[in-house]
Amino acid sequence: MNRRIRTFAYSVLLTGALAAPSFAQDEDALKKDLTSVIALHGQPCGEVVAVKVQKENDYFASCKDGNRYHVYESEKGRVVVDKQ
Amino acid sequence: MRVLVVVLSMMIGAAGCARKAPETPQPTAATADASPPAATAPAKPSTAPPSTVANNPEEEGAKPPQVTTAKPAEPASPSTPAKPSASTPTAEPPAPATPAKPAPSTATAKPAPTKPATPAPTTKPATPPAQTAAKPTAPAPRATSPNPTLDLTALKEQLKSTKAIGLMTKLTLKNQVDDLLDGFRDLYAGKGKNTMPQLRQSYDMLMMKVLSLLQDKDQKLASDIVASREVIWGLLADPKKFAALDV
Repeated sequence: MNRRIRTFAYSVLLTGALAAPSFAQDEDALKKDLTSVIALHGQPCGEVVAVKVQKENDYFASCKDGNRYHVYESEKGRVVVDKQ
Repeated sequence: MRVLVVVLSMMIGAAGCARKAPETPQPTAATADASPPAATAPAKPSTAPPSTVANNPEEEGAKPPQVTTAKPAEPASPSTPAKPSASTPTAEPPAPATPAKPAPSTATAKPAPTKPATPAPTTKPATPPAQTAAKPTAPAPRATSPNPTLDLTALKEQLKSTKAIGLMTKLTLKNQVDDLLDGFRDLYAGKGKNTMPQLRQSYDMLMMKVLSLLQDKDQKLASDIVASREVIWGLLADPKKFAALDV
């Protein structure tokens, strides 16, 4: 019994260790994506350092320079960047 | 616990091994550089001794062999064309050549004609690689230009599927492309606030945005877009072709 529990614990740890980098990569990609979007709209940001996901294609982005933006896709299919 | 310790020790060991690899290429490069000077040095020892003594103290220990290869080239102009092709550091040979020659040039008239002769071969080998590097890029646009519509479709699909640009960025770029197309529609309909030069500027800016996003992660697509840049503009700037576009 003990052996099974150990094996299970190791597998959980291993899965977590392997999955963590992929989550980090996804978050980094999202930050870069939003950084590009904000820059394409001509807004000052520098670099997005934190992202809060509201829903699909709807984010709150915090920039390195302190600015915060609401980045979302409108009903017309346009990407909107609102300064908060 | 033991298994965990073993796994950790293996990971640490593997990480340590990865750093040793870069050391091996360095010695191989050094040996490659050292061999050519040994072969060239015995070829012309007569003029080399005085000049090498002057230059060796200035440079590092690894470079003196390269200087010796350059100096045999100075006295005889025909020998120089062979060496610049082999040795990429062309900056060093001309530098010692000019200070070494002024002294003999005052004595005799022959060194004067050799001066222009030696720089000429050194510059000639330098320019042909540049021309050859430019030539491969030139044929690519020519090859793509005959069928612009196919390229446009392929580029559209490639842009949609590339992972170099995030989803929101793609949406933003699509919005800007749509705005640009609306600008052309307005212009051709006679409502235009924008003039053709202004639209060209917008087009160029949009291209730069796309290329700046692509150039690091998807160089092939970036080069494809650069190659078909003028073709796309040709489609946009011609009202008939623009009307025929399915956008």
